[in-house]
This record gives sequence, structure tokens and C-alpha cells, in this order.
Amino acid sequence: MTPESKECEESVTAVTDEELVRRSKEDDERAFGELVSRYESKVYSLALRMVRNPEDAEDVLQDTFLRAYRGIKSFQGASTFSTWIYRITANSALMRLRKKQLPTVSIEDQDERETPINIADWTPGPVEQLMTQELQQEMDAAIGSLPPEFQQVFILRDVEEKSNAEVAEILDLSVAAVKSRLHRARLKVRNRLAGYFSDNAKPNRRAMGAH
Amino acid sequence: MLTCKEVLDSLSDYLDADMKEDIIHEMKRHIGSCSDCRAEFDTLTMTLKLYKHEHGTPKEIPVACHDRLVKVLELEKLRSKGAPPPKMV
Repeated sequence: MTPESKECEESVTAVTDEELVRRSKEDDERAFGELVSRYESKVYSLALRMVRNPEDAEDVLQDTFLRAYRGIKSFQGASTFSTWIYRITANSALMRLRKKQLPTVSIEDQDERETPINIADWTPGPVEQLMTQELQQEMDAAIGSLPPEFQQVFILRDVEEKSNAEVAEILDLSVAAVKSRLHRARLKVRNRLAGYFSDNAKPNRRAMGAH
Repeated sequence: MLTCKEVLDSLSDYLDADMKEDIIHEMKRHIGSCSDCRAEFDTLTMTLKLYKHEHGTPKEIPVACHDRLVKVLELEKLRSKGAPPPKMV
């Protein structure tokens, strides 16, 4: 790397997103490239959580940055670049989920309590001890069992740990709508995990008793 | 006094501490004395802990996926500048 190019490199890595957006609007390819490298892992990660397979996640990733590239000049800056790029990602993922979705019952019609909740089934103790690959798959499946609009809220709020206000801005919903969807999504996910723990608790106890 | 239904309907806000202080106290008192609501609260808390733990292991973009994204964006740049599409090999 020449000293000049190193200087240029530093000149984009040290600036704010807002400045990079401003430069991108003026066809500064390096500035847009820096925005891509700042957000590509975040976008990919969110996409993968939403669509749950690497091929679709990559499609969402490419679609998101193509839309951002084409739309950057009309991006008004009313929200941050971060919110804007998450919004494009969430919309792109939602379109894919809707295309693939098999007919399901709406969340209103689903039984909120399929399995009686028994706290004794949930191994008390650190989360690290509870976490197995099987449980992770069950956690993904629990999200997948939600209608897409509820998945988005749950993933942004409880996996990506954004605030209710941020989720509302990304999804263009009211905070009240986010809270209502979140509550129902959480119960639904919890009920599914309760079923998993209930099914798994007994064999585990037997295994422990055998020692 | 809050009913069990009122407590269950507000569990999410309670977990997020997104309610008035006096309601938080009432929720706390109810959950402390009602085993059904406590089981609801504990399992919901554990559920969210599990997902938050999962967030601790972010999914990095694979190198090949990054490389393909860069190529797609380069093609788009050429296309937007009116250059003819590159010959497919």
C-alpha cells in the first residue's frame, strides 16, 4: 500500500456515517465502499436470522446493498444510515419470507398455551450450560413458527437488542404496535421452548439418575 | 390489586421495565405471591436470556459471500455508468 492510498484509507475509516453518505451522494465510490464494509456483517447477520438459510441471507444482503447503492442519492437523512439500511434489510427479508411461506393460521387463531408451563422443566442454572446445538435449532424453529411480521419485531428487539423506538423506526410502525407484536411473539416463542424443555426434561433426569 | 390476567398481559412491559413505578411494585408483589404468574415470569425471562446469549455470538459474513457482494456492486457501478456488461466467461 502506498503512503497516499493509506492516507485515503484513513480518511474514510475515521469519518462518520453521515459524512460517508454525503460523499456517496457525490459519487465517491470509496465512501460507499466504507459504508458497505461497516454494515455488511450486520446486514448479513440480521438477514440470516430472519430468513434462516445462508443462500437466502446472501440474496437479501446483495439486494439490500444494491437498493442502498441505487437509493443513496434520494436518502434524505431523516433517519440514520444504520436505521435506513436495517429497514431495507427487513423489507427484503420479509418479501422473501412471504414468498416462501406456507399457509399458516394467524397468530390470533393460535392457541397461546399449547403446553402447560412448568418451570421445573427448565434446568435452572447458567444459560451457557443449557445451550446445546439442539436447543439453538429449536430456538430458530420457534422464531420460524411466528408469522413474518412478528418474527421481524422479535429478532430486532430480543436478538439484535434494539429499543422499541428503534424497531418502530426500522419497521415503520408505532411503538404501541411494536410492543403488542413483541408481547405475543415472546409468549409464542416461550411456549414453543416450554414444549421442548418439557419433552427433554424427563430423559435428562433419567440420565442423571443413572449415575 | 392486579388480577393474574392483568399481570400476564403486562409481563413484557414489566420485563422491559417499561411501566410506571407503582405498577412495577404491584407486579412484583403479585409475582412474588402467585406461583402460576411466577412460572410465567421465570420462563419468559429465561427465554429472553437464551436469545440474548445467542446474540453474543454474531454471525460474521463469510469471505466468499463478501467477495460476491463486492462483485455485484462493481457490476452495478458499471451498469449505472452505461458501460456494456462484461462478457460472461
